[in-house]
Amino acid sequence: MAGSHSVGTDAAARRQEGWLTGTLVLFCLASTVVTIVAGLVQVSFGEYSMTILEAWRAVANPDVVLNADAWNAFLFGGELPEMDRNSIVVWNIRLPRVFVAIIAGATLAVSGAIFQAVTRNELASPFVLGVSSGAGFAVLATLVVFSGLAPFLPFVAAVGGTVAFLLVYGIAWKDGTSPVRLVLAGVIVNMVFQSLQQGLFFFADDLGVVQTAIAWLTGSLTGTGWDEVRVAVLPAVLAIGLALAGSRQLNVLLLGERTARSLGMRVERVRFLLSAVAILAASVAISVAGVVSFFGLVVPHIVRNTLGGDYRRLMVGCLFAGPALMVTADVGARLALGGTQLPVGVVTGLIGGPYFLYLMRKQRSMGEL
Amino acid sequence: MTQPSTNTGETDADVDPPTRRDGIGTDANPEADGERATAAETDDRPRESALVADDLELEYPTSEQPVVDCTRLDVPEGEITALVGPNGSGKSTLLKALSSQLEPAAGTARLRGTDLQSFDPKELARELGILSQENDPVGDITVEDLVYHGRYPHRGFFDGLTAEDEEAVERAIALAGIDDIRDAELGQLSGGQKQLAWIAMVLAQDTDILLLDEPTTFLDLHHQFRVLETIRELNEREDVTVAVVLHDISQAARFADYLIAMCDGEPYDWGPPEEIVTEELLADVFEVEARVQYEPELQVLPKRSLSNANER
Repeated sequence: MAGSHSVGTDAAARRQEGWLTGTLVLFCLASTVVTIVAGLVQVSFGEYSMTILEAWRAVANPDVVLNADAWNAFLFGGELPEMDRNSIVVWNIRLPRVFVAIIAGATLAVSGAIFQAVTRNELASPFVLGVSSGAGFAVLATLVVFSGLAPFLPFVAAVGGTVAFLLVYGIAWKDGTSPVRLVLAGVIVNMVFQSLQQGLFFFADDLGVVQTAIAWLTGSLTGTGWDEVRVAVLPAVLAIGLALAGSRQLNVLLLGERTARSLGMRVERVRFLLSAVAILAASVAISVAGVVSFFGLVVPHIVRNTLGGDYRRLMVGCLFAGPALMVTADVGARLALGGTQLPVGVVTGLIGGPYFLYLMRKQRSMGEL
Repeated sequence: MTQPSTNTGETDADVDPPTRRDGIGTDANPEADGERATAAETDDRPRESALVADDLELEYPTSEQPVVDCTRLDVPEGEITALVGPNGSGKSTLLKALSSQLEPAAGTARLRGTDLQSFDPKELARELGILSQENDPVGDITVEDLVYHGRYPHRGFFDGLTAEDEEAVERAIALAGIDDIRDAELGQLSGGQKQLAWIAMVLAQDTDILLLDEPTTFLDLHHQFRVLETIRELNEREDVTVAVVLHDISQAARFADYLIAMCDGEPYDWGPPEEIVTEELLADVFEVEARVQYEPELQVLPKRSLSNANER
């Protein structure tokens, strides 16, 4: 598919666009459609009942879409202007949740993709490498012990994730790191942090706190709004931009450490910096959505299955597939059981686990470290 | 550009000829014995050295003993140098040190007079290309994409591809003769085709010096020749200096301009193949009884192994 160039085109131009294939464009378009459809479903249903037509009209309501004050309120936390009830429900409650899902989906997918390349391990993900459990522990500690820090929850999560990853990196470091050592160290750090999390539950004296904490640890988008969008959007854009720029470096890293080094790459430095980008991306997602299991692991695989292993394509694919799957999963989490909302992490875990198993069965090469 | 063998006095490191002559090389060569001195002191000397190792001691973190202990070693400019020796004689280790992949425990390895350790990695990768003995398995990448990665040291973090990159890649693909498989995925190729693809990647680096670690091992005869012919063509057409570890002494003797025979981590002898390949060398270094034929061309005919001549 990469070779279907028309004859006679300028070689340089052909090369520059060599990675932009029809399959990629199609994949991204399909993902966008899924995202939009799932998003529309999400805004159309809920406890406050309105007809589908009313909901869609509210989405396209020019009084909101073209209103600078409204956007000021959404993006910068200004005063919300007067608007009708339907618009408030759609624009202030349901849509931001879709946006948070989009951001979390994209960043988690990108984060997982980076980790898989950096460690040259298809089983790597923010979860495996300890980032998620570190962030989860930090969040739990904040909720249970240091409740004064609650407004800074996203930052606390990022710090926890970074500390855990540094621990993993430190344990794995022995004249450089190796993929296998990184994953093993991740398992160890994960176990320790999970034990700490479980220990912390005994110090919680309020059932509400415990529920919030569990929602966090399973990954939930319930109750997210423009606040979360505001917190997440800038670091997400930054992380995604860096990840896209680094995709060629990831391709070279995938050739193996020796080759990368012989090509003049400072392997440890590049690996570390790209890991930092991946942590940033994961922390963005964790800070607004909690620890959504399996997502960072499975989405890059789905994309790789359709688009191949070239990271220039893979990264773009993740950017579109992540949001599509996260929004869809959140539709399931919010609406499947009627009255009760599930944490989205339960849905991704329930679907992602079996799907991953299917992938492992289908692809013989998977699981080889 | 043969230098008269008397003016060693004023030479500095980068124009230092690769032989142990009166002056620089000799005093640092206590283990040099008479048999080797005769081999090296002929007037058909190569030009100055591209790579020089001085008092080099190499070891791995796991080993106490130095794996390689080499007082002086030269890779002459513009020639094909073959490193030969039995398994475990330190050929690959030496090659790693000569490409700055292994930091020496003592001594220096210099590229045209500059210590390898002082090079910026990308800068070094523009001067010196290296192909490892084994490459990590890489599945779904096309040959062309792989060759493009050879341009890595020439590109900045945000740089796109230039016409120069194009040219280098096209040239590398043509040299390696893999135009027909350029759109194939690496995972589907045979071992020989894969090796040619990797060589093309190193060629795209467009370096003056090329280090190859056993590029022909595991290949069938046809591909062995393809690889060697590619190297020869590159050397002749573009004057690229090549140092290559070869498993097969007979192949090395026919193919290389200059041989370095390694034995137990030390260079045993070095020089043009016609001069250093002797039945004695084959017995000492390779522990085989062999017949060496010099006419019409150098030929090594191994016969049988010598029973534990110096078994450890």
